[in-house]
Amino acid sequence: MASPSEPGNRPDEPLDLVRLCLDEIVFVKLRGDRELKGRLHAYDSHCNVVLGEVEETIYKFEEDDEDAEPVTIKKQSEMLFVRGDSVVLISPNPPS
Amino acid sequence: MSFFGFNDRGHRQDAPGFSQPRDAFAGIPSRGLADEAEVLDFEETYDGLGDQLEESGDAFNDDTFGEERLTQQSIGKDFDFSGQTGGVSRAIEEERMRFAAQKAPARLAPKPASPPRKATKPAKTGYEGFIPQLQADANLWGIGPKRAPERAGPSGYQAAAFSSHATPSPAQPSAAAPPPARKILSVEEVEAFMRAESQQSAPPPVPVHQTPSYPQHMPEQHHFMPHQPPQQPPQQPPQQTPQQPPQQPPQQHPGFAFPSLQQHGHRQPQIHAQPTPPPQPTVFSHPPQILQRPHPPPGSQQPPAAARQPELPSQGFPPQPQHPQILQRPRPSSQVEQSAQRHTPAPQPRQILQNPNRLSGHGQSGPPVPQPYQRMPEGPRIPTGPAHQRGPSYQGPIITNPQQILQLSDEDRLAFMEEDSKRAKRNHKIYLLSKDNGLMTPQDKNFITRIQLQQLVTATGTVESNDMESVLNEDFYYQVYSQIRGAPRHDPHQPANQFAQTYLFQTGGRFAGRRNARGVDNHMQRMEQQVQRAVEAARAKPKNKQLVIEGSLGKISFSNAKTPKPLLNIRRNDSNSHPHHPVRRPSRVHDAAAERRVVLRNIETLYNSVMEMEDHERQMPPPLTDTSDSATVQQHLEWREKMQILNQRIWADLKVLEPFIQNSPTLHPFVAILSHPKGKKVMPRVFRHIDEQQRVTTLTMIVAHLDSLDVIAYALHDASAPAPLAVREEIELFAQAVMPCLFRSVNEAPLNIIAGVLGLVTERTTVSAIVCTKIGVSILTMLVSRAELLKPTPSADSAAHAEWEQWTETFNRLFDAAEPALPFVFPGTVLNADDVHVWQFLAAMGAASNPEQQQRLVMGVKNRVMETVRMGRTLPADMAAVRLGHVNLFMHAIGLDVDLLVG
Amino acid sequence: MLFFSFFKTLVGQEVTVELKNDISIRGTLKSVDQFLNIKLENISVVEEIKYPHLSAVKSVFIRGSTVRFVHLPATQVDTALLQDATRREAAQAGGKAKLG
Repeated sequence: MASPSEPGNRPDEPLDLVRLCLDEIVFVKLRGDRELKGRLHAYDSHCNVVLGEVEETIYKFEEDDEDAEPVTIKKQSEMLFVRGDSVVLISPNPPS
Repeated sequence: MSFFGFNDRGHRQDAPGFSQPRDAFAGIPSRGLADEAEVLDFEETYDGLGDQLEESGDAFNDDTFGEERLTQQSIGKDFDFSGQTGGVSRAIEEERMRFAAQKAPARLAPKPASPPRKATKPAKTGYEGFIPQLQADANLWGIGPKRAPERAGPSGYQAAAFSSHATPSPAQPSAAAPPPARKILSVEEVEAFMRAESQQSAPPPVPVHQTPSYPQHMPEQHHFMPHQPPQQPPQQPPQQTPQQPPQQPPQQHPGFAFPSLQQHGHRQPQIHAQPTPPPQPTVFSHPPQILQRPHPPPGSQQPPAAARQPELPSQGFPPQPQHPQILQRPRPSSQVEQSAQRHTPAPQPRQILQNPNRLSGHGQSGPPVPQPYQRMPEGPRIPTGPAHQRGPSYQGPIITNPQQILQLSDEDRLAFMEEDSKRAKRNHKIYLLSKDNGLMTPQDKNFITRIQLQQLVTATGTVESNDMESVLNEDFYYQVYSQIRGAPRHDPHQPANQFAQTYLFQTGGRFAGRRNARGVDNHMQRMEQQVQRAVEAARAKPKNKQLVIEGSLGKISFSNAKTPKPLLNIRRNDSNSHPHHPVRRPSRVHDAAAERRVVLRNIETLYNSVMEMEDHERQMPPPLTDTSDSATVQQHLEWREKMQILNQRIWADLKVLEPFIQNSPTLHPFVAILSHPKGKKVMPRVFRHIDEQQRVTTLTMIVAHLDSLDVIAYALHDASAPAPLAVREEIELFAQAVMPCLFRSVNEAPLNIIAGVLGLVTERTTVSAIVCTKIGVSILTMLVSRAELLKPTPSADSAAHAEWEQWTETFNRLFDAAEPALPFVFPGTVLNADDVHVWQFLAAMGAASNPEQQQRLVMGVKNRVMETVRMGRTLPADMAAVRLGHVNLFMHAIGLDVDLLVG
Repeated sequence: MLFFSFFKTLVGQEVTVELKNDISIRGTLKSVDQFLNIKLENISVVEEIKYPHLSAVKSVFIRGSTVRFVHLPATQVDTALLQDATRREAAQAGGKAKLG
């Protein structure tokens, strides 16, 4: 079966896994209770990314009521640059 | 909330900044308040910061402040108010008068706060020169101390600085109160005192400084001193007459109070601090020296004697820390006094206090500062100097108290007011002029510009370094994008490089990137053209006879109902039950994550190879000619060899030849690649770099796995539930990216290959399912129409005819397999206009069919034909024409025309 | 340098910069540097009422580190090229000699 990359059998680095997601739908978790879902068009070593057809989800927690379900806000963006210092994780979009 | 979430409080007020000498007194806010009655001892309040000032490191002052230093003289003149600005003294006086009249009452109230506070900010040295004089006065009268304390309230240094100037400002009035208490000397007294001093002229007489003597002068001095810049006296002789005479002499020489004040700001402050202490006298003795020399010596000497002996080392700054006065003095006195001998000191201080910003500006531009440094060892102290000087100069306090003014003689008062107004005017003028003075010198700006340019160059990469590789590596996206999109090129002289050309070409072939219909249209148009040609070719070579028009038409037209359909269906039922939803062979969901990762990695590897190939391609050595030398030839050989290697790598990465495991749960690796968008997108690029044989092989692989392709397996449409958006996008992408490649290959393939490929379809795939998908239909159309064009002429050799026979056989199998699905080949309802590809398919099939097959074809899609025709009547003309045109594509293939139906 | 290069192609385009403090500023991208500091012109704050600070401001310089998002016009992005550029960058960073 398909053997992983024959050329350059170097060990995978974390960002190599991100590379696999190029042009795929990815899930990006951000600081501040935000999540993004969109097609990965670009990234760099700082985890700056560009996503296309993005859906952003913001979870807002009521301060006085800790148990309350967070209010979710959804926003759309056709093309979005995300600065890397906000990024917590990038993962292949969980198959839904 | 701060703007960007940053601390918006700006620069720390007390932090040292450009042109803002550190405020040595900032830390000793209200000290003076405590001992109001006492003379403010600057030394006590001195926090020693002044000693920390660096005297060295002035090497770049020019860079920072311009080369003004060289022209200190000119600078000094800028502030030579008694000289240049003296002209406006009249107006100033008037103003002053009005001001005094209006504010007099207000002054009574203690309002030390506002002006002093501002003063807190780094004092501007520009005014320092004046300050010393003020201080001197205060010392003389002993009033100085009191004021200082009051001002000190807001900020120690302010107090000091202010006291002298405070006078003018209403706020100070309160402060003034104490001084009067001390006792105001009558003019006569003052005069007498002054005379005595002048007579003594020599420093020794200075002893007068001691509080006792000063107090006497105080009254007069308070008012006068501040205003009586050394030079002023001549102008305003009458007003200050009494005081001036004495003052002038001292200034010029050892005149105690004056000399010290005017000449050496330091001394004055010291005096304040030391008022009581006898040592002061010594100080005075030095004044003369001071004039000639920098203040340091005098100041140092005096101070020590006075309160703090540590200061004694005139230059010994370390000890001074406690003696702010000393620090302050150097500048003002030195500059003002020495250069101009006497500028109106008082006015400036005020401004400083009130307008911290200005001060900063002045500080730089202010000539005084530089001078002190150069001349005096004490230079470093300069920064603090101004403030202190002001403080020490007790004119302020005097002024502050309206009552004091009242006590003055008319003349004095007039003089005082005049001076005050002058001062105010000057201050204002200075303020206006110096608002942003010296924030940045031309050198600063140049410097910054240079830095920016440098950054630009480094950021853009060295364009000139012909090393396009590095440029492209660094700035790949911009460079290529610019050339593709016609954006302004970074360097207009830079020719469109080979690399960008490569990419331009690629992008042209890479329809994938955009979702616009351009790619599809092109593809569809070409397909349509081919179908047209096939249809025409079919007509040109009449098979038996065309479809029985009469019968077909008759049936169709009169059986608008659905009656014929069941009949036909029943008849053609020999091909199993119609598998509308064929089982998807490979289950694509297995160890999804791992499998997916493998596929993605394969794709990225393929990309790597392709990109490397593209890089290599544009490195092609110059074309060979007859004159090429062996080296060039060698280059070419190596280059081609490398191309070959890369080609092999791409081919391997493509995984086309990976063995196919029949019932494997996983997709064939190549098919898996195609199931990802980027796998589809890379196909055009791959096809450019593989040879004909490889392309055909690829085509074969795709066809053999047709119903494994995601675009087919997931795309089975039915009227009720159109394919999900994601699938439709994949289909679009496939049509844009992959189909053109296949189309090209097919169009270059000979009949036997077409037949072979079609055979694969019938053998390996579920035709009835495939024909229900857009991609499947398109591929079949492609093959069938191509074959029709290759149909041998009757004159062709037997081999060709044999091939044709074989093809016909294959086609028949296909037809039989597809027929059951005919009623379902159309996506959605008739309302769905996206059915061109189906009509194309039908046309191709019709053109390739024999009459019997054509009839079956018609039966299979009759309903849709009629529906479309009917609907065409309800549509706008242009839309109807389009739809009917599609139908006609098919109708023509079987020798019919929509018009026959419409009619 | 990928994103610097990327943003350079967007100069002159209308973008919306969302800062980490939730302010969104829309304006014409005037320039960008390698720190991804951004200069916008003809700006308007998306939620003007909520964030009136910039009502009177015409152009801003935004420190790159304060940026959370930049919303871009999709039509001005060549995604295929961008992905390739990303691959190149990754190849360089990863030291893959294969991609000269």
